Amino acid sequence: MDQFQMQFVSFARLVMLAMVPYVLASQGTMLGGRTGLFSVSQEGIMLVGASLGFLGAYLYGSLVYGMLLAMFVGGLFGLALAYFTTTLKMNQFVIGLSLFFIGLGLSTLFPKIVIGVTLQPPLIPTLPDVPIPGLSQIPILGDIFFNQNVLVYFAILLSIFLYYLLYKTSIGLELRSVGENPKAADSLGVNVSVMRYVTAIVGGMLMGLAGAYLPMVYTGTFTQGMVQGRGWIAIALTFFGGWSPHLIFLGALFFAGVEILALRVQVAGVGVPYQFLLTLPYIATILVMIFASRRVRAPAFLGQNYDREKRTLS
Amino acid sequence: MKNSTMLEMKGVRKSFGTVVALDDVNLQLKSSEIHGLLGGNGAGKTTLMNVLYGLYKPDRGEIYLREKKVEIQSPKDAISCGIGMVHQHFLQIDSYTVTENIVLGTRLKNRPTLDLDQEEQRIQDLSERFGLEVSPSSLVEELPMGIRQRVEILKAVYRGVDVLILDEPTTNLTPQEVESLFQSLRVMVEEGMSVVFITHKLREVLSVSDRISVLRDGRNVITLPRDEASEEVLVRAMVGEGLDVGKSLVFSDTGLDQEALQVGQEPVLRVEGLQVVNEEGNPLVKDCSFQIREKEIFGVAGVAGNGQQELAESLMGIRPIAGGQASIDDTSIVGLETRELLEMGVTYIPEDRLQDGFLPTANVAQNLILGYQRQEPYHNRGFLDWNAIFRAARELITEYNIMTPSAKEPAANLSGGNIQRVMLARAFSHPAKLLVAHNPTRGLDIGSMEFVYSKLLERKEQGMATLLLSEDLDELMLLCDRIATIYRGQFAGVLERGEFDKYQIGRMMSGVETHE
Repeated sequence: MDQFQMQFVSFARLVMLAMVPYVLASQGTMLGGRTGLFSVSQEGIMLVGASLGFLGAYLYGSLVYGMLLAMFVGGLFGLALAYFTTTLKMNQFVIGLSLFFIGLGLSTLFPKIVIGVTLQPPLIPTLPDVPIPGLSQIPILGDIFFNQNVLVYFAILLSIFLYYLLYKTSIGLELRSVGENPKAADSLGVNVSVMRYVTAIVGGMLMGLAGAYLPMVYTGTFTQGMVQGRGWIAIALTFFGGWSPHLIFLGALFFAGVEILALRVQVAGVGVPYQFLLTLPYIATILVMIFASRRVRAPAFLGQNYDREKRTLS
Repeated sequence: MKNSTMLEMKGVRKSFGTVVALDDVNLQLKSSEIHGLLGGNGAGKTTLMNVLYGLYKPDRGEIYLREKKVEIQSPKDAISCGIGMVHQHFLQIDSYTVTENIVLGTRLKNRPTLDLDQEEQRIQDLSERFGLEVSPSSLVEELPMGIRQRVEILKAVYRGVDVLILDEPTTNLTPQEVESLFQSLRVMVEEGMSVVFITHKLREVLSVSDRISVLRDGRNVITLPRDEASEEVLVRAMVGEGLDVGKSLVFSDTGLDQEALQVGQEPVLRVEGLQVVNEEGNPLVKDCSFQIREKEIFGVAGVAGNGQQELAESLMGIRPIAGGQASIDDTSIVGLETRELLEMGVTYIPEDRLQDGFLPTANVAQNLILGYQRQEPYHNRGFLDWNAIFRAARELITEYNIMTPSAKEPAANLSGGNIQRVMLARAFSHPAKLLVAHNPTRGLDIGSMEFVYSKLLERKEQGMATLLLSEDLDELMLLCDRIATIYRGQFAGVLERGEFDKYQIGRMMSGVETHE
């Protein structure tokens, strides 16, 4: 392998690694959106997921427990969103923002209760790479795709699965119809509330897992605000991906690429202040939204609550 | 099987808050019959059917299907009882194909694969059997209204319903489409289905129904076999004793009297090659040319969404005129703002009174002067003169017989008919040269329609020019001196009074024929 190839493989590997939280959080956002639920609490749920994922792994000595705990709490946030908006018909944006702030607060509270204030925060082991026998031996591609941690595989398989579910099954047809025109779906016997609860809870679980990924892969510990806006970017990414799983996956690769590129350029010591480089993902977000927003189509009923007996005037 | 009872609703009551929409209503439906359900706006027809379809939960009342009591809590229950409903506003997923819309919610055998070839074939067969021609693989949003309605009916038929409810099915159809719909319904009842046909149009109900029930103010009035029903009997049942049918404009067969038919000579509005485009630059109104003279009512017929709204809005300065000329009394109005047009004496009754016509939380008086707030006498040295406003509002409320507790009532508390009276009172409260009115009687009961017609004619006789855009052909043929038909943003032809022909206009509405 020559120098350039090695550079490329290591860059591509890192992009795959960095893509995971974007994929998980955005697919979670997409699921809820497809039934009309527009969540803005991703950042908060990811923070709680990061915090509890770290604590679960630290207390029970296994990353799996950390992931399960993060998903459980993420699911609870999803349940809360569904309950307040679908059952109590409250404004989705307001509830989403409240949940974001609750998550933000809880994420720093839990470690303080469990661990206390320490100079040297405890560390958890990071998620190991699991080479897939056979496939990981393929030159170049093997290293990029088949010699990664389990959540990388999960993110890829999840995207494929969601694509299949949404477009190739009749459950998917029903699910999408709820976000397009819940009244029509309801009139054909599709249970709008159940669909919304399920997608909100599963979506929340994915966001929680997305958060837990950060201490488990990047830092080995929880630090305040460690999600660094990835939750907000996930919203932009979902729009950019036209609320469809395959495009969201590609979009996540793009954002991960920008993130890694920013780090690389920083390390390479180009004469640009690093603060500027850190803003690259956010600038990319705005640019992408400018071009994508005209072309993509969001679910028609996104962000609205459905009330069967609501009467219009006249 | 014939004449056995298919379905019965007994003692149904439904209230929304303090408003009782249905009170002790009964309905009996026989098998193999088309049952017309007639009533004015707000009579409770749709509410009753929404109860039957499980969309509304009744406060009281029972439903019997083939003499067995059934509980219908949701549309799902209704479907499993064999009840299907075609809503007035189609309940379709715009971005889905015809087939996807039809199979949605059914338990497909090949559920995990969503292979729809077989279903497509079945839909094709059904559409041929009932004369409801559609192409199963087209996207619903690209289809015209008439076809979208067939999709709705196929949705019910595909589920094998015994009872089909059609809520105002003819609203967006051309006369030809109405006839073909009626033929399809006949095929259905011959196969043993029962159809409930909700409408406020007497002639249609008389031409297609086997039996007719009339609702008024949420109560049963009568149920009659068709042989015993006549227009007069049904009108009395619908509107009560308040309306003199003999003198009614809505039911006049002879048309207007001579005085009302006088048309002036001087053109008020001249439009030459008018173009209106959407954001992407695609034309919505193409090369429209016409003149409206004093004392003339110029009608524009067409299926909804063929450029009527854009035409009206461009003349009112709400949308920019992209090309061509338009002038009022030889003053060009291209590029003028709505405010300047109002000051010139142009007045507007928008199509969607709830969206574009009024402020729901503002009170009746504020709504009555909306748009004129900068003019005398409401405006006085930079301040609103509330005394003058309320004085004018009280006068208008009396003159136009607006049912409201006071001029300070929030406008949203008024009924649809009264909101429309507010629109009219406002449009007519100032001397106007030109009125642009878009579907001014949509959703109104007969009494209110009567009122609108008489006001339009009164103003016409005083010299006003009127552009009347309407989807109700009967209305246009009654009131207009000339009728243009608009299809895809272009005039397909203009007919003079005397050569009005419903079917010819219908052909022009669907783009089959042009005139001249």
